[in-house]
Amino acid sequence: MSNYEYHKPQTVKEAIGLMESLENAKYIAGGTDVIVLVKQEKLAPANLVSLRNISELVYIDTKDGLKLGAGVTHSAIANNEFIRKRYSALADAAGAVGSKQIRNVATMGGNICNAAPSADTACPLLVLDAKIVIDGKAGKREVPIDDFFLGPNKVALNAGELVTGFVLPDLGSNTGSAYIKHARRQAMDLPIIGIAARAAIKIDGNEAVCRDSFVAGNDISQTIKRLEDERLVFEDVRIAMGVVAPRPVRAKKAEEAIKGKIISEKLLKEIGEIAASESQPRDSIRGEAWYRREMVKVLTGRAILRSIGRIVGPEQMTNPNRLW
Amino acid sequence: MDNLLHVGKNIPRTAETDKVTGRAVYMDEYKRPGMLHGKILYSRYAHARIKSINTEKAKNLPGVRAVITGYDIPDVRVGFLGDQTVLKRDLVRQFRDEVAAVAAITPEIAEEALKLIEVEYEPLPAIFDPLEAMKPDAPLVHETDARGRPLRSNILPLPWKFNAGDVEKARQESAYTATDSVNTPWINQCCMGTSGCVAEFDSNNNLMFCSQTNVIFGAKQRIQTYLLNIGLKGKKIRVINPTVGGSFGTKLDTDIYEFICIQLALKTRKPVRIRFTREEEFMALPPRQTARFTIEQGCDKNGLLTFRKVEAILDNGAYTSWGATTPSVMMLPISSMYRVPNVSFQATCVYTNNIYSQAMRGYGNPQAAFAVETSMDHLAETAGIDAAEFRMINRNHPGDVTPMGLKITTCPLEQCITAVKEKIKWDEKRGKRNGRGVGMASLIHVAGGARVYLSDGTGIRIKVNESGEVDVLSGSTDQGQGSPTVIAQIVAEATGFKPEDVNIVFGDTALGLWDAGTHASRHTFVAGNAAVRAGEKVKQQILELAVQYIPKMVKRSLKQQKKKNPDFVEPELDYTLIDSPEKLDLRNRMIFPKAAPDHPHFKTEVGKILTSGLHVGTGESKAVVAEVFWDPPTEMLNAEMKGNYSCTYAFGAAGVEVEVDRQTGEVKILKLVSAHDVGRAINPSLVKGQIYGAAYIGVGYGLTERVQLVDGKVVNPNFRDYKILTANDAIPVEAVIIEDPDPAGPYGAKGIGEPGLVPTAPAIANAVYDAIGVRIKDLPITPEKVLAALKAKEG
Repeated sequence: MSNYEYHKPQTVKEAIGLMESLENAKYIAGGTDVIVLVKQEKLAPANLVSLRNISELVYIDTKDGLKLGAGVTHSAIANNEFIRKRYSALADAAGAVGSKQIRNVATMGGNICNAAPSADTACPLLVLDAKIVIDGKAGKREVPIDDFFLGPNKVALNAGELVTGFVLPDLGSNTGSAYIKHARRQAMDLPIIGIAARAAIKIDGNEAVCRDSFVAGNDISQTIKRLEDERLVFEDVRIAMGVVAPRPVRAKKAEEAIKGKIISEKLLKEIGEIAASESQPRDSIRGEAWYRREMVKVLTGRAILRSIGRIVGPEQMTNPNRLW
Repeated sequence: MDNLLHVGKNIPRTAETDKVTGRAVYMDEYKRPGMLHGKILYSRYAHARIKSINTEKAKNLPGVRAVITGYDIPDVRVGFLGDQTVLKRDLVRQFRDEVAAVAAITPEIAEEALKLIEVEYEPLPAIFDPLEAMKPDAPLVHETDARGRPLRSNILPLPWKFNAGDVEKARQESAYTATDSVNTPWINQCCMGTSGCVAEFDSNNNLMFCSQTNVIFGAKQRIQTYLLNIGLKGKKIRVINPTVGGSFGTKLDTDIYEFICIQLALKTRKPVRIRFTREEEFMALPPRQTARFTIEQGCDKNGLLTFRKVEAILDNGAYTSWGATTPSVMMLPISSMYRVPNVSFQATCVYTNNIYSQAMRGYGNPQAAFAVETSMDHLAETAGIDAAEFRMINRNHPGDVTPMGLKITTCPLEQCITAVKEKIKWDEKRGKRNGRGVGMASLIHVAGGARVYLSDGTGIRIKVNESGEVDVLSGSTDQGQGSPTVIAQIVAEATGFKPEDVNIVFGDTALGLWDAGTHASRHTFVAGNAAVRAGEKVKQQILELAVQYIPKMVKRSLKQQKKKNPDFVEPELDYTLIDSPEKLDLRNRMIFPKAAPDHPHFKTEVGKILTSGLHVGTGESKAVVAEVFWDPPTEMLNAEMKGNYSCTYAFGAAGVEVEVDRQTGEVKILKLVSAHDVGRAINPSLVKGQIYGAAYIGVGYGLTERVQLVDGKVVNPNFRDYKILTANDAIPVEAVIIEDPDPAGPYGAKGIGEPGLVPTAPAIANAVYDAIGVRIKDLPITPEKVLAALKAKEG
């Protein structure tokens, strides 16, 4: 393991300045990725510029959508009531990363900049239409998250730039979202695949009656039958998949195909098939390609359904483990 | 025995406070003045010829004190079959082959130096599949044996063959038969503390070796032989243990890194420590090997087992350690689980270019039990008999002598199966095929020692100090299982002291008497038996002193009272109550006449007697000390692999309820019941700890754990990719203790270190079958395997 100088700037400006003046420097936030890479000798920085003491990177602003500082930890997100209710997919994912010890130090900005195909928070940010706020010597800019990921561990950051935050639009009360991490154990694991969904549904007239069905925790087909009976229609849907391509990707064909249609078991199955056709998983020591593709089929429908559950019964549905 | 004061009580662990407060001296904290740090360079190929090694750059790195290769040390063979050398000169046969080693002033510099060693290899064809390796034209992993005689095959010269009765005839007479092929994976023992040692020579080349071994005298003997072979004759060797963070089989054999550490210490004349990283622990420590079984069983129309025929192929890896001897324990369930009159078993160990293998908790039992118990469910179904009933019909009974010659003494298997059935709600839940299911498996294991060496004995020495602390010098070791607490309870019970009076010294060949090692679930049974016997001797000595001194003390006291108070009337005391040791007892530090336990004058605190006994003036007197070397009355396996190799056997059963997600193939354990025959629980909460821990390792074996080898290389050498269960994966385990005191056990206790692991994985597999009608015969039961099997079934 190489030796490095550790710098502790107090402001973003100071950090950018340090980055410009130092040789072979690297930003470090929570350190749960950087230190591992240094230990594995995949990184050998001479200088580490710590973002931990920069208070302007730590904020959760819930006016007009959601604005998050890059320095917010996964624990802070997973435990935030507002995010759990209104941006549930992000809370699901933040709460599933690593272990409690890791979530207490690992930051949102770090997880995104590491850009692993398996990064849990990437899929939720994709379905929630997040924009990445970037700062550097050339000034501030915003990039839609879909344009931010370039490939495995590659992101659209120029030299010396850092992610300072995330901007997520207000999604309206007829929208729900969910993230399913499909892993081999409950902690310290990377997903075999991860699926995030966001669904906006049209509820004609009054409140959907089908909420009782969700709350009662009925058999899954019965619940869908109730949705179908009430002719609930998908107004808008987003689907994102992790670990099925070199970077987290949207299943855009599936999203198109589902728009405006009445929710049914058959439709969810079809959507799963389309999403699977958009995935390009490969065999690795962590999972086989055929199985990953099968799981896209199964979990896409489940993630959408969990999203709907959060619209029709938002109070009861904030617990991600409540449904299937 | 109902009148026990300390045995059977949940006394909190005595030695563990230091561990949880960070005070305990593990290998990391064991430091010696001027100590250097050793690191090992491993092979980059599974099979290659070493063309050249250049260590010049490494030697010139500041801080490096020694760099050694196979050319710098004597070419001496080590290991069970002598099939390897310490550092490899010409050929490497596995990725973990040790090619060079460095000693430096810091571990970081040593690591840096490894990178500067230049090794040129010429890759050779390698073989990784034992079935391929068995073929006549397969490339040979070893061209010659230890004596240089040419080898013609990769099959090890260890003929594991067992026959009892007439299997062929029994097969023909069977009403039903079932045949299955099952596989078990490579798994790592995953000790919390990684491997390491410190070697230190004095100026006369006597060796102080701090090792994590749990066979201190075996290690001493192997090192002695090694030193002799490299030309160091007649040197004194002392092996000591630091605090050890788990063993699970990894500390039975002396590993190559230990010999390397000794060589570095010899070369540098300094103490040298080697400590494995977690990656090394996965890549360079022998795991439990993979095994393939073919099992065939039959029963008559009433469901009574008629025969069992098992063939096993074991991947030995490139060299031979205790992995090759696991068939001696596979024998146990194969010959003796349930009553089965006709048995044949054959195991073939095969050299490959995979990493070599060794022991793990349960030895060969978990692998063989998976085969036997998978087949039991299959055969029960074929015969149309409920799987629990089928086990009950064929269960072992007290007094049975099994085909292997095991003499079953106590055997509450019936109670174990009944308890599991009841707690898992078997009758209500079995056979629904609705995605939820229950399954069961049983076990038999050695529980009264295991005669794998000529001696299976343990020596215990107990001395009592003048103020009444009890020092126990044990030749065995503690690797975190709670031995100090259990032995303290036994010693307190036997001597008449309190557990908190007992101070135990483990793991030092200079202080302890000989011991066969803390393995095979034998410690509580064998060391416990020695402790009871030594404790009783100590008690006898104290009571003899009491007969001598209590009357004197009482009389003196009365005299003094009379002196102080002339009106004092001396009581008429019946001194015959205490005139022989047989009339006295000692419990909880109090000596009293059996006929009058609360006698106001004769009841005496033991410390007073001890002080009087020691301070009697000049000349020879008596110190209270006793020692016992106890070796259980058992037999070694003979050439036919028969013999009663343990004094008693433990039985048990596990029941599991699972829920299977038919779309994802995930298996969730809803409940796990593990019922175990422990003879008597010396400390019930420690017994439960053993059952919980073993059950969790069993669940990992069943569902998630495997060392992934790709062309001989471990590709998941970390806890991210090696899926040992985490605290968040907690499953509800109910441990049921069945007590049926064994006449041979210390206060009736049997061993319980390994049994909990044995039936867990097959019980899970059987529950999965009950849930979805698909039998997974290849561990671990991953979601991929379940889903693939479901898809294959649905067509």
